Amino acid sequence: MNCQLCQKNLDAYQEGRLPSDTMTQVESHLETCDSCKRIYNIQLLANRVMNSEKETVVNPFLATRVMAGIETLENAGYEKESFNVRILRPALITISLAAAVFFGIVLGNLSRPAGNLNQIPVELALINDASLESVNILLNE
Amino acid sequence: MTDNELIKLILQGDRNKFAIIVEKYKQLVFRTCMGFVHDKDDADDLTQEVFIQAYQSLSKFKKESAFSTWLYRIAVNASLNKIRKESGRSFLQRIESMFSGEIKNDPPFSSSDLDNPENIFIRQEHSQWIQKALDSLPENQRTAIILSKYDDLPQKEIAEIMDINEGAVEALLQRAKKNLREKLSGDGQRKSKKQRRKN
Repeated sequence: MNCQLCQKNLDAYQEGRLPSDTMTQVESHLETCDSCKRIYNIQLLANRVMNSEKETVVNPFLATRVMAGIETLENAGYEKESFNVRILRPALITISLAAAVFFGIVLGNLSRPAGNLNQIPVELALINDASLESVNILLNE
Repeated sequence: MTDNELIKLILQGDRNKFAIIVEKYKQLVFRTCMGFVHDKDDADDLTQEVFIQAYQSLSKFKKESAFSTWLYRIAVNASLNKIRKESGRSFLQRIESMFSGEIKNDPPFSSSDLDNPENIFIRQEHSQWIQKALDSLPENQRTAIILSKYDDLPQKEIAEIMDINEGAVEALLQRAKKNLREKLSGDGQRKSKKQRRKN
């Protein structure tokens, strides 16, 4: 067996998936070839490191943490909603009412006859109310 | 109770049933995350994030695949996103350590160590060296090898999770193993030569 074939079969050899005759060939090649032996050992090391990570156990309180996280998220959503209900909605209603009153006044002013003052004759406008005779004088007569 | 029945109840408002799903799949998600981040605390946080994300998009689960497959997809995407974010940060850190002369690229063992893997197993530095090689693989190769080695998934399921065909998974795994082998043995040989020169 040459090095190329040996290295190609290293994975299967390590997992014991090779036919027995090929297993023996790989084994004997590894005994004689330092370079392939080195690669095989590195591969063995890599698999062991991966297996040790794989066997790490998750935090036993993960479910509690997840449920608490979900609750916090949902409460944040509720608080957002209650902010809308408690503050934003009344504020918007007040602003709409104020706007309605303002526009009502503006519209009311628009419909008032604006030219009245201009139609008053100049003579009447110049009458001095103070110099007019009292009504009582006329009544006594 | 099946996953689909549990999901139906959760969607109807029985939030607490989600804890059953977390208990059932936590180790599976954690293992995948661990394969990507290599740190228990980070993997714990990421697993929590994955489950919260899954809960939030539970209504989008179409039941066309197994629930575990859907969960694996979320875990892989969340892990890749985290790594992308971290790599932006670590790039700056690397520049910083380059200026302070802290950078190390050599594998942390001697030539003789390689002849006795039993003696060097589980040393933190070796783990980091292997992890670094794994992390240097392209994203799709890394995903395929993590799902295969950490989760022991068959190629059919990996194909479903990665949304590619089985042949492509086979090719990805072959390339990942080859790249990993080349990376590790190349580094190993460089280190051995260096040691020999020193001696």
